[in-house]
Amino acid sequence: MAADIQPLWYKDAIIYQLHVRTFCDSNNDGIGDFTGLLQKLDYLQELGINTIWLLPFFPSPLRDDGYDIADYTAVHPNYGTLEEFRAFLNAAHDRGIRIVIELVANHTSDQHPWFQEARSSTDNPKRDWYVWSDTDNRYREVRIIFIDTELSNWAWDPVSKSYYWHRFFSHQPDLNWDNPAVFAAMWGVMKFWLDIGVDGFRLDAIPYLIEREGTNGENLPETHAILREIRRLLDKEYPGKMLLAEANQWPADVRAYFGDGDEFHMAFHFPLMPRMFMAVRLEDRKPIIEILEQTPEIPESCQWCIFLRNHDELTLEMVTDIERDYMYDEYAKDKQMRINLGIRRRLAPMMENDRRRIELLTGMLMSMPGTPIIYYGDEIGMGDNVYLGDRNGVRTPMQWNGGWNAGFSGADPERLYSAVISNPVYGYAAINVESQRRTQHSLLAWMKQIIHVRDSTNIFSRGSIEFLRPSNHRVLAYVRCHEDKQVLVVNNLSSTAQAVELDLQSYKGSIPIEMFGGNLFPRIGDASYLLTLAPYQFFWFRLRRI
Amino acid sequence: MAEEILLADDFVRQLMSVGEVDILVGIPSFNNAATIGRTVLAVEQSFQQGFARQRVALVNADGGSEDGTREVVMSTRADKSSTVGGRGLTSLRTEQRVVTQYGNEPSAGLALRTILAAADLLRAKACAVISPATSNLTTAWITNLLEPIYRDNFDFVAPLYNRHKYDGLLARNLLYPMSRSVFGHGIRELHPSELGFSGRLASHCLGQNVWHQEDIQDAPEIWMALTAISSDFRCCQAFLGTKERAAAGTGPDIVTAVRQNVGSLFWCLDTQENYWLQRAQPEALRSFGPESDLTCEPMNLNRQRIYELFRSGVQDLGPILQSILAAETMGEIQRVAAQDEEKCRFSGELWARTLFEFAASHRHAVLNRDHMIQALVPLYRGRIYSFLVEHQDSTAKEMEADTENLCVEFEKQRPYLVERWKA
Repeated sequence: MAADIQPLWYKDAIIYQLHVRTFCDSNNDGIGDFTGLLQKLDYLQELGINTIWLLPFFPSPLRDDGYDIADYTAVHPNYGTLEEFRAFLNAAHDRGIRIVIELVANHTSDQHPWFQEARSSTDNPKRDWYVWSDTDNRYREVRIIFIDTELSNWAWDPVSKSYYWHRFFSHQPDLNWDNPAVFAAMWGVMKFWLDIGVDGFRLDAIPYLIEREGTNGENLPETHAILREIRRLLDKEYPGKMLLAEANQWPADVRAYFGDGDEFHMAFHFPLMPRMFMAVRLEDRKPIIEILEQTPEIPESCQWCIFLRNHDELTLEMVTDIERDYMYDEYAKDKQMRINLGIRRRLAPMMENDRRRIELLTGMLMSMPGTPIIYYGDEIGMGDNVYLGDRNGVRTPMQWNGGWNAGFSGADPERLYSAVISNPVYGYAAINVESQRRTQHSLLAWMKQIIHVRDSTNIFSRGSIEFLRPSNHRVLAYVRCHEDKQVLVVNNLSSTAQAVELDLQSYKGSIPIEMFGGNLFPRIGDASYLLTLAPYQFFWFRLRRI
Repeated sequence: MAEEILLADDFVRQLMSVGEVDILVGIPSFNNAATIGRTVLAVEQSFQQGFARQRVALVNADGGSEDGTREVVMSTRADKSSTVGGRGLTSLRTEQRVVTQYGNEPSAGLALRTILAAADLLRAKACAVISPATSNLTTAWITNLLEPIYRDNFDFVAPLYNRHKYDGLLARNLLYPMSRSVFGHGIRELHPSELGFSGRLASHCLGQNVWHQEDIQDAPEIWMALTAISSDFRCCQAFLGTKERAAAGTGPDIVTAVRQNVGSLFWCLDTQENYWLQRAQPEALRSFGPESDLTCEPMNLNRQRIYELFRSGVQDLGPILQSILAAETMGEIQRVAAQDEEKCRFSGELWARTLFEFAASHRHAVLNRDHMIQALVPLYRGRIYSFLVEHQDSTAKEMEADTENLCVEFEKQRPYLVERWKA
């Protein structure tokens, strides 16, 4: 794959996000590993995804599920060795699957040797690799992100008798990116993994790299300058590799992270995601259209990343107070389901295991502008366990079959890193890959189909979007265009059957061809185009002039 | 016979797109382009503030405006810079706005019926009708009308206003005491320009075969309120705010006002006699919000003119009045009319008796009913003259006490009405 450089491959990617720990345990220690993951690559290839995004697998005290890194250039022994990682990477590449890994650039674990050195004395050469203060009064305008657990962005270090800055947990001190040595070290980390062959990095918590007095410590110009330099080096030394920004900000603020095509290749569109859930619950397209109309144009070489769920809570930071309250009341009535400013549930339980709604949301994910990310397990409708701490309820073992430990591990169940979901609705006996593989019309089969259909054209990955505005607000309809090709997408957001009249005058004479079955629909004429949709149904039509 | 088609195709199409709603606010209009934009904004702000999660719709039923009223309704938009965080994010849901022209000339009855039909088709739970001309309308007015219905399951909400002591005289001296004594529930504003009602009541009213009756075309709200009472719907009142005084020369003249209101009231007495003749003890209506108040600032009124019209009316319409009223009542009215200005007093007892005799005569159609109601006008003037003289220095509390006394007098004489009604 190294020789096969397609500069814009990430635009056509269909990304599968997983933590190696959760996927498959090959050595029966109760924890997933790279050898086990390698064994499941055929499954992923069959599913149709072409990129895997791996959550952090580096040595770590695991107090933040690996986002507290103690060694950037090794593999946590729980998950295997560096050689096993290499073997997995090569096997993935052999199957045409690219690998994106995490780069947690903003902070390290307090167990990282860098911090251990920095705290040892104020004279240590690595002292300035972190942000220290004699008081906790600096940067007062900066918000606290983990509001459920942290009272301050400063923590007292009893070793060096001073405060250190942390935007996340107190055991995750922020690196001082004002220090060129930090930049050099992190670039060295990136080169390490790039030389092994990874295809890209998701840069975690990127808005917070730099802090300045009198600011909110987010999205500062100096942060962008650092990122541009990283990108410059990447393009120069490792062309064809990708940087994905995790910047949980309003679209207008994320725009800056694309620069002029000289910062990130991709960035998550965080505000769109809750609004997709909102729209289905409200049965009203307004939240989606409103946020996408506010989404600025991005450079041609750049791409949004869109998703439904991920390893974190479904964040409600980038919504209004009314929207947040609505989401809590509709999707997280039990307060146990809430954490920080978000909801720690999976897709299927949020959709009340309604196959139609799961398909509708997935259909929107696959047809809206951006590179879609599928969170592991959502392809079979896995459930969650809100009674596990932190966000661990959405990080339970993958359910492969209805047998021992859901086929995840041969270890004793007590040894598993996390209990398998076992309730009657979402438990592994009911929801697993094997049973869905054997069922022709399972959710898994449907997911394969929709991925295949999406992949059959680059309209979804490369095309523009034009929203139609039929008077029926329960229908979200848009046309995706790329070069001379168009696809009409019509989504019924409602739990009841709907009729909709679409103004398709611009496409008069085209024949809509439904993309899943290939059937022809009546040619578009002068009159409004009438469609009727079952509850939560959607259509994708290729518009052909013939 | 084919069912009459009431709603225009385009209107139905718009309703189809809206779908089921929780809240519907109707605005009847005719040439209100100057003021309706403000009303629309107030309604939509009330949606966002009070019903952010509910499915809401605004329906404008227009009687053929030629000043661009309907276009103003469709084009009015809130200033986006005032939205959440200045990010242009407004309500959770699409703002549904429907406009229809129900006819080529204004008709209160047809406008209300159109709004009721929309409420019925959209299965609205709580509805309100708002005047497009109220310049001091606030979002609280709309919320106060809707909340008793949406949250407390009432079916009809009549407004309560702060008024000047000389405003709403027809309500204070006629509609309120008479409807309270006859129907047993005291609705202060029986012919309001703002009211609330449930979808249940809307469907019920829509299904009644009354919409072609001339008697209710000009004041259908009176019929709706009394129907709500007589059909055992839950009724209440809600305080809205200060009722603006109509500018001089606007609004109907006294003859028209009496014809519209009393005509509707008497028709209701006639068609709903099964209820009020049998009704049990009167019940107080629940009220939401603060008590309404009266303001007492000085006002110039031409009392002498009112007095003269009373006297001349009694004289000119003597033969007609004699065929409506009992001899004793007529004699007493003539004695009152003969007194000079300082002594002329049309007592509450006489007034109650007069109205009840008119109602009974209307029931028995002793004369053309419209003529009969017009004949009431000079007597109403007499009553108003007397009221203005008695209360020129009254405080708000004193006036309220007097109104209550008037209601008690009406209730005391209710058996007299029943007797004459059945005669």
